[in-house]
Amino acid sequence: MILVIAEQREGKLNRATWEAIVAAQQLAGGDALRIGVLGASAGAATQELAAAGVGEVLDVTDAALEPYTPDGYVLALAQVIGSTKPEVVALAHTYQARDFAPMLAARLNLPLITDVTGISGTGRQATFTRPMFQGKLAAEVKPAGGGPCLVTFQIGAFRADALKKGASPSPVTSTAVTIDRAAIRQTPDAPFQEARQAVDLGQAARIVAVGRGIKSQEHLPVAEKLARAMDAELAASRPICDSGWLPMERQIGSSGQTVAPKLYVALGISGAIQHLVGMKGSRTIVAINKDADAPIFEVADYGIVGDLFEIVPALVAELEK
Amino acid sequence: MESESLDVDVLIVGGGPAGLSAAIRLGQLQAQQGGEPLSIAVLEKAREAGAHMLSGAILDPSTLRDLMPDFREKGAPLASEVKRDRVYFLTHKARIPFPIIPPPLRNHGNVIISLNQFVRWLAEQAEGHGVDFFTGFAGQDVLTDGGRVIGVRTGDRGIGRNGERKAGFEPGVDIHAKVTIFCDGVRGNLTKELLRRFQLGRGRQPEQFAIGLKELWEVPAAASAKVGSLCDPTGQCWLGGPLSRTAPAPRDRLEPGTVMHSLGYPLRHDEFGGGFIYALPEGRLSVGFVAGLDYKDPLFDPHMAFNRFKRHPFVAGLLSGGQMVRYGAKALPEGGWNTIPQPYMDGALIAGDAGGFLNSMRLKGIHLAMRTGMLAAESAFEAIRAGDTSSAGLSRYQDKIDRSAVKAELYPVRNVHQAFGYGLFAGLAFAGLSLATRGRWVEDLHGHAGHERMKTLQWYYGPAFAEASAGKHATPAPSNATTIDRRMTFDKVTNVHFSGTAHDEDQPAHLLVHTDVCSSICGPEYGHPCTRFCPANVYEIVQEPSGPRLQINASNCVHCKTCDIMDPYAVITWVPPEGGGGPQYNGM
Repeated sequence: MILVIAEQREGKLNRATWEAIVAAQQLAGGDALRIGVLGASAGAATQELAAAGVGEVLDVTDAALEPYTPDGYVLALAQVIGSTKPEVVALAHTYQARDFAPMLAARLNLPLITDVTGISGTGRQATFTRPMFQGKLAAEVKPAGGGPCLVTFQIGAFRADALKKGASPSPVTSTAVTIDRAAIRQTPDAPFQEARQAVDLGQAARIVAVGRGIKSQEHLPVAEKLARAMDAELAASRPICDSGWLPMERQIGSSGQTVAPKLYVALGISGAIQHLVGMKGSRTIVAINKDADAPIFEVADYGIVGDLFEIVPALVAELEK
Repeated sequence: MESESLDVDVLIVGGGPAGLSAAIRLGQLQAQQGGEPLSIAVLEKAREAGAHMLSGAILDPSTLRDLMPDFREKGAPLASEVKRDRVYFLTHKARIPFPIIPPPLRNHGNVIISLNQFVRWLAEQAEGHGVDFFTGFAGQDVLTDGGRVIGVRTGDRGIGRNGERKAGFEPGVDIHAKVTIFCDGVRGNLTKELLRRFQLGRGRQPEQFAIGLKELWEVPAAASAKVGSLCDPTGQCWLGGPLSRTAPAPRDRLEPGTVMHSLGYPLRHDEFGGGFIYALPEGRLSVGFVAGLDYKDPLFDPHMAFNRFKRHPFVAGLLSGGQMVRYGAKALPEGGWNTIPQPYMDGALIAGDAGGFLNSMRLKGIHLAMRTGMLAAESAFEAIRAGDTSSAGLSRYQDKIDRSAVKAELYPVRNVHQAFGYGLFAGLAFAGLSLATRGRWVEDLHGHAGHERMKTLQWYYGPAFAEASAGKHATPAPSNATTIDRRMTFDKVTNVHFSGTAHDEDQPAHLLVHTDVCSSICGPEYGHPCTRFCPANVYEIVQEPSGPRLQINASNCVHCKTCDIMDPYAVITWVPPEGGGGPQYNGM
């Protein structure tokens, strides 16, 4: 018997679970599966799995399983595996599985085969294909010894739409586990939310970009004021971001972003080809630079040869009138 | 995390002409002699075969013929047979043809190739023999067990700028082999380690190097040039006689197969080097310049010398109206026979440029790299079959080299490069004498490591100059600076763009520098020569309120190794960046 461990969060099933089920169906060679769902409020995921009719759903509900902790999952799964005695425990190769599966395998002293992309044979006798050396080699692996074997399946290696659904919904069996809360060593914080909206220079209609001519970080407000007055995003050439004066995501050029805004104002940027390839598609290019021979003037529609520390404040004053 | 490991019979480090010839030869021996099949793996740091290959290049096909007699049927990409040789001595404005072509520079029977395409083809041939070719993996460390080389560890992947493990972290892989053949190229990072650990250079002369810079140009045909003549767009012809008024269709400015070498300008007589122009089909020109990494002037800039070469009226006439399409730079081992280290040890062999197998007088090394690769393969194969891969078992490699064309070619000219240390004219005279006598000398000339020959600013320019520049923070300009017009001559940053080099920016710098030297003594003593000898603008001195600071633009690196060789304090160490990074020398 193949036991699939589903992955869910607040009742929402991770789509990779369907791929693991498809792989498990191939591995089972027509025999029924069992699907374990762990959590405290996994009802919706449990119902979704039961409705597919691919095999008995084991509802492992325990308050200690929410939020997810590797210790909690290992304690629960050790009992589930002990009571159901599957040949193979199948998991999708998700971040969560990568987190707890090695610990589970070590705790139960079971073989673990990860990131599997192919199966030949069925059940415990199957041979699994997995990539090695960054996918340069495909290794064929057979689990040694007796007892259950843990297998994780690479995401995308098995197609979820190849799922063989059952004619009728599968039964849901409540499976009790006892988890000693004291044995859970991790205390997770609330899930991390991307706090800051990342800049998307590709969407900006106007960009003010600064280069080495700005001389030092204290002078950045000169450019910031112009950007504000023009309602433009602030960007930079490589040396500015290399020095850490602006974040890397604001770097324009071959090692940064490629942009094509309506208006691109280059302040103190000489126009090395590595920068030009990142902005030469801009509709209108305005360059301000002390060096009349700077290559930026070869692509600029409007060029001002002069000191940006005189010209930019004058522009800002004019725009703010 | 523990390293995964892989066991093979023969591990070849470096997928260039030497490494791939070794792989192909092993495959052939396997097929001919049968027996327990050997597993053979080749490691290559470039993302794909040939991407880091740079050479002029003229191939002496002798080794290729021995390796694969049916190379033409197998589709070896040979761009053009050499049709004519020209050698010039350049002065500031003029050129003086050599009355006869010196025999070492006669290329009759040789072919002009793109080494990039040639190596890509060799890789296909090797894979046809069932060799495992791992591209994108650099050899990071030599693995040893006592005094024996047992393999190589590849570099970790997914290490961030500050040494932290990123999400995609993968530890390096230990590859164990009965015999490891090191073909990691000129100043190979692993061979350098072997030389140090096993003292393989003991009793040999110091290695000598040069830097080669090359651009690939596409030039429009001169409208009405006579076949084989050399005319600039104004109609002025340099060779091949007057303009033919009746010539119908546009032709290549230089007939494909034309090979030109120059000596003299823009170098001074105590500087070694010269220019080359090879004409390829379809109006492509391979234009390059080689400068010895043993110059005395601390303000000399090899890249500027290349620019000056291109501005010489003779070269400018050939390039005008054309377009530079690729750029690259790479060091060359120039020292010759007496500088070649002991190429065998317990469990390992060294072949190709890594061992210094290059004939600097003929300006050729590809055939010697291939030959030593083949001989290394034969030695490894025999040693494994005989069950003795110790130093003694592998020493047959030396015997094979000594009996082969490698020694026959290198031994007679073993003193020539060293003679150029006494200046151009001494070198030329000596080269002639070597040829006449087949190199029978009572005593060998002695060379010095090139970086030790660089003089201080004070020595070269006098105390007044040193004092004047001591107060200033700016890096002194190159002594051979010339106009950069971004049409024919380029700044390094622009050139780097055309090398196609790319590295993951979020990784530790792969150039390890003791930077305290830079901010303290290097400025006053040498004026930061790294900013000049590096052809890719990796090294930059940034002026900060606290003083000059060395900024290392590691992602510009084209893997030429010049900094590892030429730094006068020997405080720069080149280590491989994350596998897959580096130049993209398509068509070079």
